[in-house]
This record gives sequence, C-alpha cells and structure tokens, in this order.
Amino acid sequence: MYHFDWALFWTYVWPVTALQNPLIRNGLLATVVVSIIAQVLGVVFGLFAALGKMSKFPGFRWLAEGYIWYFRGTPLLVQMALLFFGLGVTHIYDFPDIKFGIVTITGAIQAGTLALAINEGAYMAEIIRAGIESIDPGQMEAAKSLGMGYALAMRRIILPQAAKVIIPPLGNEFNNMMKTTSLMEIISAGELFFAFNQINARVFKPFELFIAASLYYLLLTTIWSLIQARIEAGLGERKGDTEKQGMFARLLSGTSKGGH
Amino acid sequence: MTDKFAPKPDSSVIVQAEKVNKFFGKLHVLNNISLEVRQNEVVVILGPSGSGKSTFLRCINHLEKINSGHIYVNGHMIGYSERNGKLIEDNEANISRQRAEIGMVFQRFNLFPHLTALENIMEAPVHVRKIATAQAREDAERLLARVGLEAKRNQYPNQLSGGQQQRVAIARALAMKPTLMLFDEPTSALDPEMIGEVLDVMKELAHQMTMIVVSHEMGFAKAAADRVVFMDYGQIVEQGTPDEFFSNPKEERSRLFLSQILH
Repeated sequence: MYHFDWALFWTYVWPVTALQNPLIRNGLLATVVVSIIAQVLGVVFGLFAALGKMSKFPGFRWLAEGYIWYFRGTPLLVQMALLFFGLGVTHIYDFPDIKFGIVTITGAIQAGTLALAINEGAYMAEIIRAGIESIDPGQMEAAKSLGMGYALAMRRIILPQAAKVIIPPLGNEFNNMMKTTSLMEIISAGELFFAFNQINARVFKPFELFIAASLYYLLLTTIWSLIQARIEAGLGERKGDTEKQGMFARLLSGTSKGGH
Repeated sequence: MTDKFAPKPDSSVIVQAEKVNKFFGKLHVLNNISLEVRQNEVVVILGPSGSGKSTFLRCINHLEKINSGHIYVNGHMIGYSERNGKLIEDNEANISRQRAEIGMVFQRFNLFPHLTALENIMEAPVHVRKIATAQAREDAERLLARVGLEAKRNQYPNQLSGGQQQRVAIARALAMKPTLMLFDEPTSALDPEMIGEVLDVMKELAHQMTMIVVSHEMGFAKAAADRVVFMDYGQIVEQGTPDEFFSNPKEERSRLFLSQILH
C-alpha cells in the first residue's frame, strides 16, 4: 500500500506555499511568458506562411508549403532538441544566456520558445489561411477598385474581417501552447514541469508532485478559457450572434488536439 | 513611358478600347471589342448572360486581364505597357493608381462589413489619397447626403437594406472623385421595390460624369443613356441611341434579345 504524502502534496498544491519555492515561482512565470511570446511569434510566422502559401509567386508558395509540411509532419520534441542541441554542437548558434538586469533568459528558454513559435507558425498558417479564404473575394475586388494595393487591402479590409474567424481557433491554440511548453523539459528550460521534476529528483515523490504540477496547468488553461469566453462573447455581440458556447462545453470539447 | 499614351490623344475620349480579346481557356469571352466612350457620356451595355459584358467592364479597371488589344482610360493604357507589340503587365502600384481614378459599383455591393457607412466612404480617400481625416469625413457626409442617407452614417452594412447598401457603395466610389464610373449590374441583386432608389441616384449622376452601365434596366437606359451597346457571344452586335435600339433594332440577335426581355 502506497503511502500518499498529503503534507508534501498540499505544500506544492497550495500556491502560497508552493510559490515560495523559487523553482516553481520562476517555472510558472516562464511557462506563462514563454507561452505568450511563442504564440505571438507563431501568429506572425503563420501570417507570413499563410500569405506565402496564397502567393502567386511559386517560390513563396513552395517555401511556405515546405515549412508547413516539415513542422507539422515532425514531432515538436525532436524539433526542439534539434534546434537547441543541434545548433549548439555545431556552434552555428550557441544560445548564450541573455541578461536584462536581474532577469536572465537562459539559452534553453530562448531555444524552446523559438521552437514552439516556429512549430506553432505552421499550425497558425492553416488557421489564418482558412480565415482569409473565408472572406468573400468581392471584398478584395472592391478594395482594389478603390486603388488599394494588395498589402493595404489585406491590412485594412481582409485581415480585420478574417480576425473574427481566426480568433476562436487561436484561443484554442494558446490553450494548447501553455500545455505544450512542458516539452521544454527535455532541453532543461526552467519552466513549470522542469521545476517539479527537479524537486522530484530530490524528494522522489512523483505521484504527489506530478498531480500538483498537472493542477497548475489546469489552473492556467481554466483561467484562459474564462478569458477566451469573454473575448468571443464580445466578438459575437458585434456580429449579432446570440449563441454562445458555455465555458464547460469549451473545456470539454474544443481544447484537446494532442500530438503537436 | 511614351507608349503608355494613345496614338491620338483626344481629351474628350475617356475610354478607348481597341480590338480587345480575352479567353477563359478555350472560350473566347471577348472577341475584338472596340468601343469609345466620350466625356460625360452614359453608355448602357446590354446582352444575355454570358455575353461578356461584365467581363468587358471588369477589364476596364483591370480586375480582369486581357489577352490582346488595348484599353485606354484618359489616354493611359490600363494595366499594361507595350513593348515590341507585346502586352506587359504593369506593376501593382501603377495599376492601383489607375484604378483610383475609376469608380466601380458591384452587383453584390461589396461594402466593407466591419466599417460603418461613413467609414466605408472615407476608407480610400484617407488611406489611398492620404486626405486628412477631417476633410474626408466632411466629404463623406456630403456624399451620404447626396445619396439620401445622411441619417445612416453610423450604421454598419448589415443594418442597411440592399438599396441603401448600394447607394452607400455608389457614394464610396464617388469619394475618390473618379473620372469614370463603372456599374456592374447594380440593381440585379436588389428586391424590386429597391431598384428605383438606386436608379434615381444613378440618373442624378448621369451627364455629370462618364458612366458605363451593365444593366437590364430598360427604363434607366431609355431615360438616361446616350448610347446602348448590345453584346452577344463576346462581340458588340449593335449600338445606337436608346430610341433607335429599342424601337428599331437592326440585327436579328438584338430583336430576339429584346423580345425575350420585354415579356
């Protein structure tokens, strides 16, 4: 019969005590910050890849399609290891630590964030492309007939409309992103899962500690789902939609994708 | 640059199409179309669906490419320059600059749904012409009044009826102060009770500017057109004043078409 260590469990579940541990404090911060930065970069990469894929120039199309094909067709874990260890060992780029005053961004965090962002870009590309293609071609024609070039028409006319289509799946992507940051453990980036793993290496209580770790991820994704529901309700109001998906319906359905 | 100009520039000719040919695959959609439209002239293009009339209109502002021939607007070749007898497509900036001088009104209105009526009209003057926002707003309000919709300035397109949307779309095109207005079946997507309000706005504009209208509205053609052009199978079959064309069509195909639509 396994003896469940309740005292240790509550120490690491209850935020007031858990966050006294600098590993967990920094890990939680890193998970949130890395998720946001990787997602923002992922949207930027995805936008360029989407525009590239729809370009009339074959060179851009091939480039974008190659990017999407490779990064959706290979495991993120492998991409991350390749980027960090691969570039490091060849001295193409060593990922030196970057210091901003008292904050140090380790090379592993940089590499992990970049890998997450590049991988996310490949998924965002398809979401953004679908969003752009959902807009009536008459919109682009009207913009052109008024003397707008492609870039101006995209920025002022097409993308603001496509955003309404893109934002719901983008929210789900961010939900996934917060969970996926845990893969950075493989390159010893100091995020949340790495923190719990480090503690486990000292006390060897994997059952208690990893339940606690999972609850922190659950807290993050639940908070985000609440925010997401707010954002989408706002979008829906402007569109005049009356149907709104409940928070629990969202938690139970929309957020599980798995595999990337 | 010299080859951008028509051989004999005549300032009263706004549109000059010379032997325009266009293919969609094997289909010869425009077959040697030549047409001249003079300043402040109102030309109505009629024809059965698939006759190429909308395609021709869309070639005038280069929304469609052509395979051969020339289209000049205000003496400038549209969409292309010519080198050694070959058409070479212009760069995007040039094409956009030319389109800014040509207003277009679409069958499905194509208002920008994320912008209010006023913002729809201000969009291109502010972001293409770089006119100050306050000035553009003043102009847009004047244009909305002109199409009888000053009360709808802050409404979004989905809060407007089809007829109102099309009137805003006309105001939006006019805001660029175009020298030429193209109307691509502007009333075909409207409920019958709304057609009148749009045609009234168009009649107001007639003879104040050059207009090419693809439409089946006989009433408008009779009341406002200087010339009716009848197209079939990608060719101009016949053209003349509305009086001549409607009461005494010369070609068999014109007679057949008229007998079909007048029932």
